[in-house]
Amino acid sequence: MDRETVERVARTAHIKLTEEEIQRYGDDLTEILTYFELLDEAPESDERGINPVEIADVLRDDEPRMDIDSDVLLRGMDTYEGYVRGPRLS
Amino acid sequence: MSMKSTLENLESVNSKYFMFHAKTSDTDPGDAKFLFSAKDNLTSKDMETCAGSRILEGYFPAFDATAIAKMREAGGKLIGKTNMDEFGFGTFSTNSGFEVPRNPYDLERACGGSSGGSACAAAVFEDHVSLGVSTGGSICCPASFCGVYGIAPTYGRVSRYGLIDYGNSLDKIGVLSARAGDLRKYINVIAGRDERDPTSCVQPELRNEGRRMRSVAVPREGVEGLSKDVESAFNAALDELRRMGIEVEMVDMPSLKYAMPAYYVLATSEASTNLARYVGMRYGHQDGDYSLKFDDFFSDVRSRYFGDEAKRRILLGTFTRMAGYSDRYYSKARQVRQVVIQDYKRVLKDHDAVLAPTMPFTAPRFDDISKMSALDNYKADYLTVPANIAGTPHMSVPCGYGSDGMPIGMQFVADHWDEDVLFTMAEEWDKEFEIRKPEVSA
Repeated sequence: MDRETVERVARTAHIKLTEEEIQRYGDDLTEILTYFELLDEAPESDERGINPVEIADVLRDDEPRMDIDSDVLLRGMDTYEGYVRGPRLS
Repeated sequence: MSMKSTLENLESVNSKYFMFHAKTSDTDPGDAKFLFSAKDNLTSKDMETCAGSRILEGYFPAFDATAIAKMREAGGKLIGKTNMDEFGFGTFSTNSGFEVPRNPYDLERACGGSSGGSACAAAVFEDHVSLGVSTGGSICCPASFCGVYGIAPTYGRVSRYGLIDYGNSLDKIGVLSARAGDLRKYINVIAGRDERDPTSCVQPELRNEGRRMRSVAVPREGVEGLSKDVESAFNAALDELRRMGIEVEMVDMPSLKYAMPAYYVLATSEASTNLARYVGMRYGHQDGDYSLKFDDFFSDVRSRYFGDEAKRRILLGTFTRMAGYSDRYYSKARQVRQVVIQDYKRVLKDHDAVLAPTMPFTAPRFDDISKMSALDNYKADYLTVPANIAGTPHMSVPCGYGSDGMPIGMQFVADHWDEDVLFTMAEEWDKEFEIRKPEVSA
């Protein structure tokens, strides 16, 4: 995988790479993707399910409930006035 | 060893084998009926839960995973959360942000992965059951390397509520133990429908009829590339099965060779989206630089705390889902999964299980693992990924020991929802095969 692609993928995935990592992951991914070319010759299927077994939609009544107290959920979080703290958007 | 003495010795045993990331400090079992441990990607409200990742350091969940809650309801006492590869990304439990579990038969060797700490605990502690999780072989591989029984039930049999996802369409919670009877006993405890995980809600009832295995199919593709020790132990096990009255037939399963690349495409694609939630907010480390814009804030935290293999799999999974590449990789891998399922269904029409060695070699030494490339690591999973991609129940049972004294396992794969035939096989095999317990000292 060329340097430009590695950098593009890393940017999309929110991973900062060092020079050494760009080179190393590029080499690793090239080797791995070359092996994955085996998929090109694999038989195709009309079935393309996401899950290996049949899955049904499960719905429940839309009734509000409190499984876990919000104070308990917020206990391990960095908060500000009861809100989860996050970075600025711009 | 009594439950009390197990608890009293927990610290010293762990300092030798490093099976636990977090553990109880209780020395009194109270009214517990049994002790159990659980892989550290299952949430537990009384112990830190990190899934082997430093990015989750300091995370104390507000709730128990359904499987852990059910074990507690059955009278179990959780004694520890077991070390593992970061988020399940590995074959040897060496890709951990924390301690690496040591093989009880040789401390210089790996336990296998990614439920390595669970297999270690099952082998070391008497009367112990551990919950593991398999995405591509993470229960059977360490069970094989540590000489214990391990079962990953059908995808959807056990609720994944409270499981820190690796690949949603692949993850399965199962059981590891040195006692064959524990597989049936504890899968019965943790199985069942749970409205918090819709994938658990279509399952038929778990049968406990003691259905005997009458014939097994051994795929030619599953006996290629084996070490001499594994080949020899497996052939001896086949002879034993024949002696037990089980028919053994060699078959062709041409789809199996495509399972490994398809698995790594699906697993890393799903992982790369699942791990997008770890950005230095809400869980674990929250020490990001608030002066940075959000893109840089997220990238900074993720780059500091994700380990090497996690980054590699995130990059791989992000690439295989990208516009221009997803048809070739992700879409094709989904088709291959269906082809593999059809291949299993075809063979299982005439046989009760598909059988092959669990791993192609015995537990490797840490210094040999460090010389393996990423692709070498992935290729080591070629025997365990097909059943995982198919979502079929599979079980590793100890079947011999190598010239190096290390345990060897064989893996039975049954049809969807047919765990009963695997439980019964384990119980019958246990009467014929004697496990050589490791010499355990604290």
